[in-house]
Amino acid sequence: MQSTISIFKRSGVQKKRRPKIEDFKSTMKLVFKNKVSLTGLIITSVYFILALMDYVYPQYLGAGPGIITSMTRLNGGFLGQGFPSAPTLSNGWWFYLGTTYANIPLFPAILSALYIDLGYSLLIVLSGAVIGILVGTISAYYGGFWDELMMRITDIFYSIPFLIMAIAFTTILAYSLAKAHAPINGFSLIALALIIIWWPTYARLTRSITLSIKSSRFIEAAVASGSSRIRNIFAHIIPNVLSPVFVQISLDLGSIVLIFATVEYLGLGSVIQVTPYTPELGELISLGQQYLPVGIWWPVFIPGLFLLIFTVGVNILGDGLRDVLDPKMRR
Amino acid sequence: MIAQEEGIKETQKTNPYVVVKNLVTQFFTSKGIVKALDKVSFEIYPGEIYGLVGESGCGKSVTSTSIMDLIPDPPGRIMGGEIYIDSFNILSDLRSLARIKIRSETDVKIKRSKRANKRHNEILSQIRGNKISMIFQEPFLALNPTMRIGDQIMESILLHNILSISEGIIKRNNINSSDLDKFMKNLNSETDPLRRKKVINNFVSEFGIPEFEESLNSLIENSTDDSYVKTEIINMIQDNKRDIDMKLITEISQYYSLKQQLFQLTLDEIQAERTGETAIRNQKHAQIKSMRSYINNKFFSLRIKLRFAEKHYMSPFRKEARRRAIELLSLVNIAGPEVVVDSYPHELSGGMQQRAMIAMALASNPKMLIADEPTTALDVTTQAQILEIIKDLNELIGMAVLFITHDLAVIAEMCDRVGVMYAGNLVEETSTTEIFNDPKHPYTVGLMNSVPRADKKREKEIRLETIPGTVPNLISPPSGCRFHPRCKFAMDICSLKKPKLVEISPQHKVACFLYSDESEVD
Amino acid sequence: MELRYYIIRRLLILIPTLFGLILLTFILLRAIPTSDLIASFVSQKANATQRAVEKQQAIAYLGLNQPLPVQFLYYLNDIIHGNLGVMYTGFYTGPVIGGISKFLPYTLELTIATVILSILIAIPLGTYIGARPNSPSDAVGRIFSLGIYAMPVFWLALLAQMVFGKNIGILGSYGLPISGEGYPSTTKVPWIVNNVSEPTHMLLVDALLHGNLTIAYSAFIHLILPVAVLTLSILAGLLRFIRAGMVDTANQEFVKTARAKGVPEKLVLKRHVRKNALLPSVTVIGLLMAGLLGGVVVIEDVFDLRGMGRLTLATITGLNIQFYGVAGTVLFFGIILMITNLIVDVVYAFLDPRIRY
Repeated sequence: MQSTISIFKRSGVQKKRRPKIEDFKSTMKLVFKNKVSLTGLIITSVYFILALMDYVYPQYLGAGPGIITSMTRLNGGFLGQGFPSAPTLSNGWWFYLGTTYANIPLFPAILSALYIDLGYSLLIVLSGAVIGILVGTISAYYGGFWDELMMRITDIFYSIPFLIMAIAFTTILAYSLAKAHAPINGFSLIALALIIIWWPTYARLTRSITLSIKSSRFIEAAVASGSSRIRNIFAHIIPNVLSPVFVQISLDLGSIVLIFATVEYLGLGSVIQVTPYTPELGELISLGQQYLPVGIWWPVFIPGLFLLIFTVGVNILGDGLRDVLDPKMRR
Repeated sequence: MIAQEEGIKETQKTNPYVVVKNLVTQFFTSKGIVKALDKVSFEIYPGEIYGLVGESGCGKSVTSTSIMDLIPDPPGRIMGGEIYIDSFNILSDLRSLARIKIRSETDVKIKRSKRANKRHNEILSQIRGNKISMIFQEPFLALNPTMRIGDQIMESILLHNILSISEGIIKRNNINSSDLDKFMKNLNSETDPLRRKKVINNFVSEFGIPEFEESLNSLIENSTDDSYVKTEIINMIQDNKRDIDMKLITEISQYYSLKQQLFQLTLDEIQAERTGETAIRNQKHAQIKSMRSYINNKFFSLRIKLRFAEKHYMSPFRKEARRRAIELLSLVNIAGPEVVVDSYPHELSGGMQQRAMIAMALASNPKMLIADEPTTALDVTTQAQILEIIKDLNELIGMAVLFITHDLAVIAEMCDRVGVMYAGNLVEETSTTEIFNDPKHPYTVGLMNSVPRADKKREKEIRLETIPGTVPNLISPPSGCRFHPRCKFAMDICSLKKPKLVEISPQHKVACFLYSDESEVD
Repeated sequence: MELRYYIIRRLLILIPTLFGLILLTFILLRAIPTSDLIASFVSQKANATQRAVEKQQAIAYLGLNQPLPVQFLYYLNDIIHGNLGVMYTGFYTGPVIGGISKFLPYTLELTIATVILSILIAIPLGTYIGARPNSPSDAVGRIFSLGIYAMPVFWLALLAQMVFGKNIGILGSYGLPISGEGYPSTTKVPWIVNNVSEPTHMLLVDALLHGNLTIAYSAFIHLILPVAVLTLSILAGLLRFIRAGMVDTANQEFVKTARAKGVPEKLVLKRHVRKNALLPSVTVIGLLMAGLLGGVVVIEDVFDLRGMGRLTLATITGLNIQFYGVAGTVLFFGIILMITNLIVDVVYAFLDPRIRY
């Protein structure tokens, strides 16, 4: 005769300690082992380090905020005179990538632009994720009317092309905020508009995960042992939601950077824009666009290349993370 | 429904139909190599039902999928051993299929050889479904959801039975007066109306014209003039024949019979390769080459036709195959086979789906059927019906069955011989009666004591037991005998050496040091 | 027979979303200070008293003196009667609905050509790649789709213009025209009235209908670059989806059954994997359409084409932001996307026998 206790002793069932840290470690190990996702990690880190450096030491790297005025002052105070100069290695590192409209050197301008692009995109994705997680978990957990309402709202958001919605929201927000004399610049405005239309993605993701967790055994056990609803959400559901949301964030970051740049390229940021300001990558491209017909390619090509490499890096990192964090993919 | 035919099994136990020798199958995962099968050997004789039993995760299903060489690759791979089906070793190309470099447990490089893979697949596609069929655990997942049941059965028929179909068509269309004379003579020799009907029935099924049975019956009832009946029959068949291009059918049947010969030559070539007879091998190789070019030249236009308008040119074959599919469906006790043949899998119940699976497996008259837990996903009453169908088929056509289950009751009911598996090893093999009355291996004993038994009068104090512990992790299995950590009778030698499966009494093989000192040589 | 009920049910589900969409545009319209809305109805030249009268008239006309729910009902009534308001921009001046009907056909031409081209490319390429996971061709396909996916559409369009454009680039002066330049709508052809061709308003189709091959050729040449760039921009998503579908389906149990039946490897892919893998890709077209309609705005801006995208952009880049234009275009794009999704769902239900009506 065997008692249950001895069965557990024999098979070596033990309580695991600190699973979170162990999980993170094994995740990172798998990411580091895969060369492609490691490349993604390196690209992303380099971009973020550059952006941060530019913020902390604007005098050494980029030119910091207000580049348009400071650069034109540097170039003799006139805008738009002469053609941009080609990339050259002779005039110091500022001119390694050539100059664009108004002879603004591209290299520092791009570094400053990176700070804006990455900073605002991160802001958009993170705030969208926070709102989405809260709305998604709560509506799914309580169910009924609130859940239905949330689904209908996200349905509406999904039924309009994203870019069209971004344009509409930016316009309306710009106008009404400007009338209200709210202190807001073009970038924050676009960021605000994009947050408003970006959270439903996360709300839906969170909702589906919450629904599957809600019916699982351990939540039933928690309810049976008398833990409250709020405690359930924060202690049991949100930790389980975090890792898929994290993967989604890393996949979305690239798209958001692209959309941010596109919206800026279309000139939405300048609906209300104050000078002096720093051009962001999309705007840099639109500055250089006028020279394309005469064969001056670098003002368009180089900022776009920076954008492309970043998006590729974030995407392969996100793919790698998904492969690692999604147990179905792990074999 | 089927008369019991005792004695078939005893007479045929000469040559095993399937031989598995030292089969090693492994899975290469990111956590390490899973040693799913470790030198498994057994034989299955024609006409018998062989049961494989064990806890879940002990390698039963891996064994059956290995026999069909259906192990998903990657991550799995058959690493060694031999599998003879109808005395042909399907793993003869194993070495040349891939080069495997194992640097560490988690770092494995497999380089596949394209040419060898191609030949291997070609050969296996003639063996799978043709010599061995398989049915799966969950019929809902195992049937193609976007294809009609009939199409799925017909696919199998058209793949393996095209020659017999074309024979049937040719025979029907070349029906001559001597055949009719014979039929009329048989008919006139019978006076009893029921027996006359039987003769008509035989006639229409022999020539594949069941749709004429009704009209033929009425024709014969109303007329006494033999010659009139004969001309009427010929007219009927002529009417039906109009849309069939006999030239095309003979051409297609020629094409496929040549392809069959080509396949046989390839088998011969491989056999010669294995035995090292270079001269024969070269000769066969040359033959294959010339035959291939001959086929390519002669049937060039036919192949183009089949490539682009297969449905159109194969339509007489498809019609015949459809008739056979309906027959197969009624053979497995499906009500309304004419409706089911046109329905999609999701429109059927689980039991019907499994029956359709069985019908599909029977499509090419295989000599053996692998049933991989065919009833696990079904409810109890359906289970019994499915088991009965399998048992009936076994008795009716003498089809061997490899039956995989974890349910000892099913084993007791179905099987002639049983193999007990534990953690990728075959630990005991004997007849069904022996395994229930006199289990030897400690694992088998534990297994037997864990289920309630009505047939054994036991003392009241003996209760149901469980085997302590769980199935070991097969990435790092226990050394020596894989059962020793859970074994009550474990000795020192058990953790050091692996016991060999030896015959301790006639028809009873056990791998345990309690009964024999023999160990596997590494 | 049953499909009809499915369509009706699907249409009924559409109603709340459509209602929500209209509500959203209403909220957008009311989010701006109403004083500006009223001011746009008051003529600046008139004197103070006249202006006060006009202001009252405008308030009454707009229904601003009513409670919000009633205002919404007015708005709903307007929309049902096709009255989306008026816009005044350099690009187009007049009723919003008229602008939409004028500029939609060109956008339709662009999107339809793009969808057809991308499907024609994606299905064979995706199935080819998906049938060989982890092979060199798969690696090439993945790098390609990742690169395209990560590329800003406007940048791609600019580069395409530079490389294949008329005056510069590797093709010299014989390259493709940068669209918009020398667009044949200005030619003196009787069926091109007011820069809009008759009867379908799609220049390529109309030219073919009228048998005018010169204009058809020109219209075709002008379509090449925008359609190519748009196709590339949605190709990545489609390729990824088809590839993933192929790989997923190849691991399904019924593929194992097909192999167990002895179906040769080629036929397994053709008969069993491909159909099951491609069916769900029908649904992804609805999703891609959303991206495509966004891409149209960018492409029309870069290539200077006169379509819905330009109309949308015109509403915000004029002297005054055109609120009715913004709300109208949002509503319009929303409805287009809804209809697309409806069609996609119905087609999917028609193709997949498993869908329960």
